[in-house]
Amino acid sequence: MGTGDELLRYERQIMIDGFGIEGQEKLKMAKVVIAGAGGLGGIISIYLVTAGIGKIRLIDYDHVELSNLNRQILYADKDIGKIKVEIAREKLKSLNKDSQVEAIKETITEDNVLKLVDGYDLIVDAMDNFSTRFILNKVAVQKKIPLFHGAVRDFEGRATTIVPGQTPCLNCLYPQISEPGISPVIGVAPAIIGSIQATEVIKHIVGTGVLLTNRLLIYDGLDMEFMEIQIKRNPDCKVCYHLWESKI
Amino acid sequence: MSITVRIPLFLRKFTGGQKVVEVEGKTIGECIENLEFKFPEIKKNLRDKEGALYNFWNIYLNSASSYPEGLSKPVKDGDELNIIALIAGG
Repeated sequence: MGTGDELLRYERQIMIDGFGIEGQEKLKMAKVVIAGAGGLGGIISIYLVTAGIGKIRLIDYDHVELSNLNRQILYADKDIGKIKVEIAREKLKSLNKDSQVEAIKETITEDNVLKLVDGYDLIVDAMDNFSTRFILNKVAVQKKIPLFHGAVRDFEGRATTIVPGQTPCLNCLYPQISEPGISPVIGVAPAIIGSIQATEVIKHIVGTGVLLTNRLLIYDGLDMEFMEIQIKRNPDCKVCYHLWESKI
Repeated sequence: MSITVRIPLFLRKFTGGQKVVEVEGKTIGECIENLEFKFPEIKKNLRDKEGALYNFWNIYLNSASSYPEGLSKPVKDGDELNIIALIAGG
């Protein structure tokens, strides 16, 4: 670790069994793409920055709107009309100056996704639509980069951790879907699912605990239940089948 | 044969608020048909005009994917089905 300030800042997490200074160093060296700076992306970025992730690339094309403010806690009334990732970067820098936050105002497409994730270790899926999620999934499989999936609606949420070649990919999980429309959501739903995604990222980097792999977590906030579904790879998956051929 | 179906939040208004329903059938498809027979209002929320399940529903048998058999997958007494909605918000 560098300075005494750093040791003090992260003291409470360095004290955790299986974490230590070594774990903190790993976080400092980590480079994480967060795709989406909305309800999920806000929570994820706040907790990754405060945990001491070295470098974050936050991607979102959008501007802040009034209807975002029930759940997107990086933003306030004064930010309406401004570019989300720029507001987010300033907020995140104020939370931890040691974490580098790169703000990318772009729409993620098939054409630019390789460039957007180049040089990064992990991708966090904080999107609000499946077409972009599948673009992220495809590049994660192609580059064998772990992808941390989360989604919310109403009081509900889903999360799973995808490690290409070791777990089903998002396309295995949802081989045929139609894109749902605008999702109703209460702010605490992305708070819970985003926190779970951030937890998974931290565990993966530090190398502690058991990841949410090969399992889909179903969160039902109305009944306050968590349920798990065992998920398996789809042998006919057009995205990740090639990663398994040598193992069959 | 009695099979337990866990009803997702969105569909509970069609089952009188019941979260868990007992149905009969030898396959997942028969169980879903029995569920629709018991609660006819649920059908139009599960299937399109051609009668195919909307692809935002995923059905899991004993917490495992029913892929690739899907509705033709056999079930046995005591099994549990979960109907899980695809959600996309962020």
